[in-house]
Amino acid sequence: MPRIVRWIWTLLGFHLALGTIAFLHFVLTGEYALLTWYFWALGSLFFLIMTATECGFALVCCSWFDADEPMRLAWLMIACAALARFTGTLLRGISNPHLTWVSGHWLGWASAGLLAGLSQLGLVVGGPLSMAFLAIGLARVLRIQRRFHLIGALTRGDQALLVLIVAFTFSQIGTILPLLGSHPSAATMLLWLSDPLLSLLLIEAVLVRRSVIRMGQGLVARCWGMFVLAIATTSAGDAAIWAANHNLLPEPLNALSWFIWFVAAAAFACAPAYQLAAMSLVKEETVQSPGAN
Amino acid sequence: MNHLSRWNPRSWKRKHPASHTVDLQLEAASASGLDDLQARLNHWSRLWSAEDESSSNCEAQQLVAQRLHRWMERCFGQHVPDSLRGKGHGISLASSTPIFTAFLGRRATRELSRRVLQDV
Repeated sequence: MPRIVRWIWTLLGFHLALGTIAFLHFVLTGEYALLTWYFWALGSLFFLIMTATECGFALVCCSWFDADEPMRLAWLMIACAALARFTGTLLRGISNPHLTWVSGHWLGWASAGLLAGLSQLGLVVGGPLSMAFLAIGLARVLRIQRRFHLIGALTRGDQALLVLIVAFTFSQIGTILPLLGSHPSAATMLLWLSDPLLSLLLIEAVLVRRSVIRMGQGLVARCWGMFVLAIATTSAGDAAIWAANHNLLPEPLNALSWFIWFVAAAAFACAPAYQLAAMSLVKEETVQSPGAN
Repeated sequence: MNHLSRWNPRSWKRKHPASHTVDLQLEAASASGLDDLQARLNHWSRLWSAEDESSSNCEAQQLVAQRLHRWMERCFGQHVPDSLRGKGHGISLASSTPIFTAFLGRRATRELSRRVLQDV
């Protein structure tokens, strides 16, 4: 495992260990105070570190490709997706009323409406916009993988999953369409795109997973495998939110489901780290051992 | 030559004063070194495509194929070399360079080719 990837998983482990303490405190006392503080302060910090790491690594990966190489655009889109997630987390963080300096200093001249607007902007930028960038990037990758016959045939399980995703997307569109008559805001309409975009990402993830299985356990294969893991965990987090909104999850299980998002963030950061490890392996080996390999 | 004349296409066609002697040198070299050059080109083309396995280059070809196999396993995975081999020929620089270039980039592939061809 490359050193950077090990560092990311260690940080996730440490962060989850702290989260377990906060979660146990919530289970034993029934109070949300420590758990809320953990998710708001440490959780936001973790997301910022992970998205900044992902964005930085993706930009370095992008710089390794020349302007006319197809993978350059793919990595640029992935870097944009990470930057959008970083900006989204930042906007939601600064518009959070828990932040004392915001409530103390800003609210003097900035209205609560502005903060709500910033929060909505953060949701749009970190949600649908980021997903759209990632979908474009992965579509580009799939095109290149198909050219090299790396995408294996879909199994019946894959096909069933794809049918399920498409059916879910259409059911969501069916729920949204009648709401258009009530003249929703632009931000609300953009947020409606989240589910169809996530479905698109899931379809891409199913195809990328086939290519990963066909390739094996190499660094590039693991890079794309991490994207599959990240998209799958994001979908699981989204499903947990849906279940919680419909009162299908008991309270402790609902709180536990919030931890999924940290795994997704770590997986997103690991993906370009694996690609970077693959590309730098060539250079490092040249420097370290002058003898032929 | 002033700065403007540098952009005049006529100045590009102007022959360099030393070009005549260079031609002579090339002519002299072609008489003695053409066979050597041809042998080198054949050697590299055999290594590139790995089609002629019965030649004396067989050992070098195998070495190149082994190195490429190891790099492919490390970078992509253990099944990729087999899928490339399944297309008919063994692993060669010709068959593996496109996939390396696509996923690692031109610069990294150039470095990798240097490593693969080292001491061959």
